[in-house]
Amino acid sequence: MSVEVQNEYGKIDITNDVIAQVVGEAAIECYGIVGMASRHQIRDGLTEILRKENFARGVIVRNVGDETHIDMYVVVGYGTKISEVAYQVQSKVKYVLQKTVGMTVKSVNIFVQGVRVTNL
Amino acid sequence: MKSIDGLKFAEMVKMGAHNLYQNADYVDSLNVFPVPDGDTGTNMNLSMTSGAKETAENAVAHLGKTAQALSKGLLMGARGNSGVILSQLFRGFGKHIENEASVNGVQFATALKYGVETAYKAVMKPVEGTILTVAKDAANAGVVQAASTEDIVTVMEAIVEESKASLKRTPDLLAVLKEVGVVDSGGQGLVYVYEGFLACLKGEALPERAIVESMDDLVNAEHHRSVQGFMNTEDIEFGYCTEFMVKFEDEKLQANPYDESNFRQALSQFGDSLLVISDEEVAKVHIHTEEPGDALNYGQKFGSLIKIKIENMREQHIEIVGESHSTQEVEKKEAVKHPYAVVTVAMGSGIAELLKSVGASAVIEGGQTMNPSTEDIVKAIEAVGAERVLILPNNKNIIMAAEQAAEVIGIEAAVVPTKTVPEGLAAILAFNPEAEVSVNAAAMKEAASFVKTGQVTHAVRDTSIDGVDIQKDDFMGISGGKIITSTPSLDDVMKTLLSSLIDKDDEIVTILYGEDVSEEEASSIVSYIEEHFDHIEVELYNGKQPLYPYIISVE
Repeated sequence: MSVEVQNEYGKIDITNDVIAQVVGEAAIECYGIVGMASRHQIRDGLTEILRKENFARGVIVRNVGDETHIDMYVVVGYGTKISEVAYQVQSKVKYVLQKTVGMTVKSVNIFVQGVRVTNL
Repeated sequence: MKSIDGLKFAEMVKMGAHNLYQNADYVDSLNVFPVPDGDTGTNMNLSMTSGAKETAENAVAHLGKTAQALSKGLLMGARGNSGVILSQLFRGFGKHIENEASVNGVQFATALKYGVETAYKAVMKPVEGTILTVAKDAANAGVVQAASTEDIVTVMEAIVEESKASLKRTPDLLAVLKEVGVVDSGGQGLVYVYEGFLACLKGEALPERAIVESMDDLVNAEHHRSVQGFMNTEDIEFGYCTEFMVKFEDEKLQANPYDESNFRQALSQFGDSLLVISDEEVAKVHIHTEEPGDALNYGQKFGSLIKIKIENMREQHIEIVGESHSTQEVEKKEAVKHPYAVVTVAMGSGIAELLKSVGASAVIEGGQTMNPSTEDIVKAIEAVGAERVLILPNNKNIIMAAEQAAEVIGIEAAVVPTKTVPEGLAAILAFNPEAEVSVNAAAMKEAASFVKTGQVTHAVRDTSIDGVDIQKDDFMGISGGKIITSTPSLDDVMKTLLSSLIDKDDEIVTILYGEDVSEEEASSIVSYIEEHFDHIEVELYNGKQPLYPYIISVE
């Protein structure tokens, strides 16, 4: 699955993996996000924070017809206002995709998989 | 003033919130990062107002309790990135002094510093050149000042001074700010809060802001946001960027009394991106319009026109498309000027290449039998011309030499005590060129701890280790540093090792095969894993390492 952009010179294909990577990078720059979580971890309720090259595992890009939806699984820092942090991620992801890929996503859904408590 | 109690602090909060409220529009207009939607000031103001309200309602003489009220109010009212960060700053601040009835300068500055640490902990990739940086620099300056004075007002002065200086430096840290020509909006918001604190401590009125200086930033930010709207030159609806100042004249004002909001309303019919700032003597106007003459004529009704500047944005836009490439060039050149290196150790040219491909600046050939000395490590660091360096030994026998190298190198250096190549790989991937050395060292160490390492090597003599009987020339399977199996069959060792390493939560297995292993043999291991383990992705690299037929990383 991928997103297609057509221009006068031909076609540009951007794979879902690339979009997932871009989205993941954008998300972890957001304040309050301490990591991306793997969607597979739902099975056992253990939240492990993904490493950089695996961000795509915490992001699902769904193409429904010609609309794109994004689901992302994140871990937030303890003590932050979670609803607000999630909202910031949505707005940043929408903006970054518009700017770098020129695509408009229909929805960005955030699944908060865990809260990380630090010793402070 | 030697100390502040809860009631004094509540006054400070009120004044800080008020100063932010007064300047919220200006903070909004600076907002270009993380998303240029112009709401930083609004969000921060709502957050701070909520904090100040909760503080005012629950203010008591006990400072700890009052600070808790602020922390709670900020958390409940947190809006936007800047609001969430503000709430974390004061959450840490409040937590640090929760048992203090009052604090002196040292305690106050230390508590602010603690707040900064708390705020930094709630983000994976702190972006410098933002409110975080301004808060950090300001708190540090407060701590330094508090060491030499007992006067809390002097400490607060140092905090405000440094917060302003740090704000001025934000464009040097965050490329988008420099590109647009503005300082960071959230940082500016924090400066207003601190200025309010100081004004309250001194019993003074809040500072006025310089009208002309701020207009330039406003225009820059406005241009950045308006460019978001069009990709193509032909999308530009209002083609002339028009700026002028009206110097008020009394005669004209009698016929046309000046009122800023009416003036703005009237001008808005001529175009968009409208900015108006005025004081007693002048009004400064910026507008994008298709009829610059009409806007100028309107301005003239109130006085004489000074400093007129009109630019054709369609012409500029054609040039900008070419320009955006040149800014990237400049950034690249600067990156070479401040080398921030990761130096690591490996055996086998394949592994060395792999480490370089994920971001190692230099790989020292070393490993099990030819451990590099402290001097080798120092030389490698000097060869890459680093100013800051992280050293990854990838072998527990080299950690000591690496620690010594870090001590004698004479630049900022830290060792990430990686014991294996897979740990080293994981650590390098967590490297963030924007972060401090100490922050990186901690993050990379943590990343390395998530990886499980398996190794297969030859036995050189008969022995028994970890309760495993070992015959000379056996293959030994080592899991996380412990020998768990030893047999003459390489395949059997691999199978035992893999089943001990992989559990149901794991997702990726990386196999580095050595110089004695053929690609076919290695591929058969990959097929074996794919057949026997669900949900596992396998990556295979030719590590070309001696002595170890296989090195396995599981995560």
